[in-house]
Amino acid sequence: MLNVLMLGVGQCGNRILDAINKEAFGGSGASKLAKYYLRPKFPSRVETLAVNTAVNDLKELRFTTAKDRLHVPNLHGVGANRNVGKQAFMDNRDMIMGEIEKRGDFDIAFVITSASGGTGSSFSPLLINELKRQYRDITVITVAVLPFREEGSIYLQNAAFSMRELMEVDAEGIILADNQYMKRFGGDIASAYDKINGMIAQRLLFLIESLDSEMLSVTDLGDFKTVMNGGLRIGTMGFYQADSKNLSIRDAIENSLKPANLLYPANVADDAARAMVIIQGSREHLDMDEITKEVERLSASAGHVFKGIVVKKGRPKVLSVFTVASAPELESIYAQAARGMQDEKEKRTRARKQLNDAFAHIEDLEEIY
Amino acid sequence: MRSKNNMMHRDGVPEMRHLVNRPCLVYLLLSILLIQAAYGEKSNDDDDEVTFKDFTLNIGDRIDLGDYQMELIEIQSVRDGLVVMRISKIGGSLDEQRALLQDSPNNFDGGAENRGVTITVADIFDEQSAKVRIEYQQGLGTARKRASERPAAALDKPELSVQKSFDKNQMSVGDEVKVTITVKNTGTGQALGIIAEDVPPLPEFSYVAGYPPKIKETLDSGQSDSAVYVMNAVKEGSIRVPAIQVSYTDSKKNAKSNSSVPFNILIGPKSKADLAIKLTSKVPIALDGEGMLNISISNLGTAPATRIEANGGVNPPEGLQVSGLEKSFFEILPEAYENYSAMLSGQKPGNYTIRLRVNYDGGDGSVIRESTAKVVVLEREYKYQYLLLIIPIAIVIAWMYRRYREYKY
Repeated sequence: MLNVLMLGVGQCGNRILDAINKEAFGGSGASKLAKYYLRPKFPSRVETLAVNTAVNDLKELRFTTAKDRLHVPNLHGVGANRNVGKQAFMDNRDMIMGEIEKRGDFDIAFVITSASGGTGSSFSPLLINELKRQYRDITVITVAVLPFREEGSIYLQNAAFSMRELMEVDAEGIILADNQYMKRFGGDIASAYDKINGMIAQRLLFLIESLDSEMLSVTDLGDFKTVMNGGLRIGTMGFYQADSKNLSIRDAIENSLKPANLLYPANVADDAARAMVIIQGSREHLDMDEITKEVERLSASAGHVFKGIVVKKGRPKVLSVFTVASAPELESIYAQAARGMQDEKEKRTRARKQLNDAFAHIEDLEEIY
Repeated sequence: MRSKNNMMHRDGVPEMRHLVNRPCLVYLLLSILLIQAAYGEKSNDDDDEVTFKDFTLNIGDRIDLGDYQMELIEIQSVRDGLVVMRISKIGGSLDEQRALLQDSPNNFDGGAENRGVTITVADIFDEQSAKVRIEYQQGLGTARKRASERPAAALDKPELSVQKSFDKNQMSVGDEVKVTITVKNTGTGQALGIIAEDVPPLPEFSYVAGYPPKIKETLDSGQSDSAVYVMNAVKEGSIRVPAIQVSYTDSKKNAKSNSSVPFNILIGPKSKADLAIKLTSKVPIALDGEGMLNISISNLGTAPATRIEANGGVNPPEGLQVSGLEKSFFEILPEAYENYSAMLSGQKPGNYTIRLRVNYDGGDGSVIRESTAKVVVLEREYKYQYLLLIIPIAIVIAWMYRRYREYKY
C-alpha cells in the first residue's frame, strides 16, 4: 500500500485538497452531510494537510478535518507577497515539518498549490526542499495551478517566479493545471473553480488508486516517476469516462488525450515526452488488442507510454498522464508576466517622476506659520 | 292656743283691781301691764306652736322629747306598713306600745295640739328601719334621737337563689338531656312555702322522667335542694330555655320570689353514622403478579355504625382475582375506622373496576355505601425495549457530534 501525503498549500491548494477529501466521501455525488456519517475512503493510506497563513481560508474548508488544517501564523495571509511568504515559511518551518512528520513516512507527496498566490507560490518550493531533505526516498510531485491571465500582474509575476523555482527544486515533476485553459467550462467563477478543483481531485485519486491496485497490466510508482522525469518534467493529466453510447476502449483512450479533457493545453502528438495511460473498467470492455494498438499509436508520437489496466466493474475510464518536451503556453505566460512587470515598473517610474515634479514646486520654500 | 291666751288674760285681772284707786299710778301700771301683756302674749304663742321632725330609726332606736321617750320596737310588716313603737313618759303617766300604720298619725297624750305628741310612720325601709315623723309643741323641748345600745337582732331574711341547668348545651335530636334545678337559701332566715314553678317542657322536648321537679317546701339559711328531671330532644333548632321561678315567704309571711337566668341550647339534627370507604391500589399489577387493595372504612358521622357488612365484586369478572374483599364488623364508633386489605392477582391484562358495597345500620335504618377502585393489570413488559431505539439514536448523535467536532475549525 502506498503511503501518500497530499499537501494543499495556500488558498488554491487548500481548496483542491478539500475537493480531494470530498471526493473521498463520494465525489460530486456526496452529500454535504456525508462527513457526519461516512469515513473518507482513500484508495491508499492518504494523509492530507492544508497549510495556510490565512486562517479564514482554512475556515472555509468543509471536508477537511480540523487536525488536517495547519495555520501558519502570519497575520492574515502574506498579501500575495512571495518574499513575506518565504520569510513566514522559514520562521515556521519546524512547526510545519513537525506537523508533517507526525503523519509518518510517505512514498509519494503531492504538493498542491497555486503558482500565482502568495502563500502557495512562496511556500511550495521551500516545502518541497524540506520534504526532500527530511524524507530521502520520497517522490514529490507538484500540482501547480496557473492563474487566469486577467487576474493581475502580481499573480502573473508570482506565477513566473514560482514556476522557475519549482522547476529548480529537486521534485520529480510538476503537473500543471491552467485555470485560463479550463475557463471554457463556463459558468460563474465560483462554480468554475469548484469544477476545476473537482477534476484535479478526481484525477489525482484515480492515479493513486491505480498505482496501488493489482493490475492486469502493471504500472507502479516507479513508472510514474519515470514518466514525470521525462521532457521538461512538466506534465499534465487527461481523463475520460466512456458514456453508455460509446463503450469503445480505444475511443476512451483517444478522448482522454484530447485537449478538451486535459488540465493544461498541450498537444500530445507534438509535445509529449513520456506518457502513462491507466485504463479501468469491466473486463468485457477491456479489449486488449484495441488497447495495445492505441498505446502503440500513442507511443509513436510520445516516445514511451506506460499502460496500466485495472479490472473494475463499470464503464471504461482512462487517465492519461504525460510530460511535455516543450511548453509554449508557459512561454506566453512568462512573456505576459514580463510585460506586466515592465508596465508596473514604468508606471511606478512615471508616478515617481510626477511626484518629484510636484515636490519641486516647494523645493526652495519653507513652512510659514 | 287662743283659749290659753284667754286664760292668761283672765289670770291678770285681780292685780288691776288693786290699782283702780290711784289713777296715775293705775295708768302707769296699766301701761306697764299692757306692755307686759303684749310681750307675754307673744312668748306664749311661740311655746304653743306645733312643730315636727323626721327621724330614721332602726329597731331599738329611741327619740327623747321632754319627758317623752319613743322607741322603735319592731317592723311588723313591710308589706302591710305596720311598725310597733313604744311611747312612755318619765314618771310613768304614759307607757304604751302600739302598732302604727304607715302614713296614719297616732296621737299620744292628746296629740301635739294638746301638748302631747303625734307620731306618723312616713316610710318603712326594710325589716330593720323606718322613717318616723314626730309632731309636738315647741314648748316640750327639742326631740333628739338616741341610738340603741342593744346589738342588732339577727335578721330573719331568707333569700333563695334558683338555678336551672342542662347537662349539655348542644345535643342532637333523640339525645336525652338531664335538667337540674337547684334552689339555695343564701339569706339569713328560713324560707317557707317554697314553690318552684318550671314552665312546661318545651315543644322541642318530650318527658322522660322526674317532671315536675320536687323541691323542699322549707329551707333554712344556707340549705339547698335540687331536683332533676330528664327530657328527650325531639326537634332540632336553637332554643331559649325560659327561667324557673321560685316563690317563698319568710317567717313573717312576707312573700318573695326569684328566677333563674334563661339560656340558649342547640338541638342538632339526629345523630347518624356516615361511613366513608376508601379503596387504594398502589401500582398497576404485572401480569401473573400480585397486588394489594387497601380498604379503609371510616365513620365520619356522629353515631356509631353497627352491623357493618362489606362485600364486592370485580368488573369484568374474569382476569383479576380478588380475595379477602368480604368483611364484617360489629360496630364502628364515630371518628373511628377499620382497615383491611384484599389480595389481587392479575391473570389477564386490562383495566378492572373493583366495587365495594358496605351495608350498615346508621342509627336511622339500614344504609348502603359503595366505592370503586380502578386496577390495571399490565401487559407483559419487555424491559428496555425502548433502548433499542434510544441507544442507536444516541450513538448516531454522539457520532455526528464527534464528527462535527472533528471538522470544526
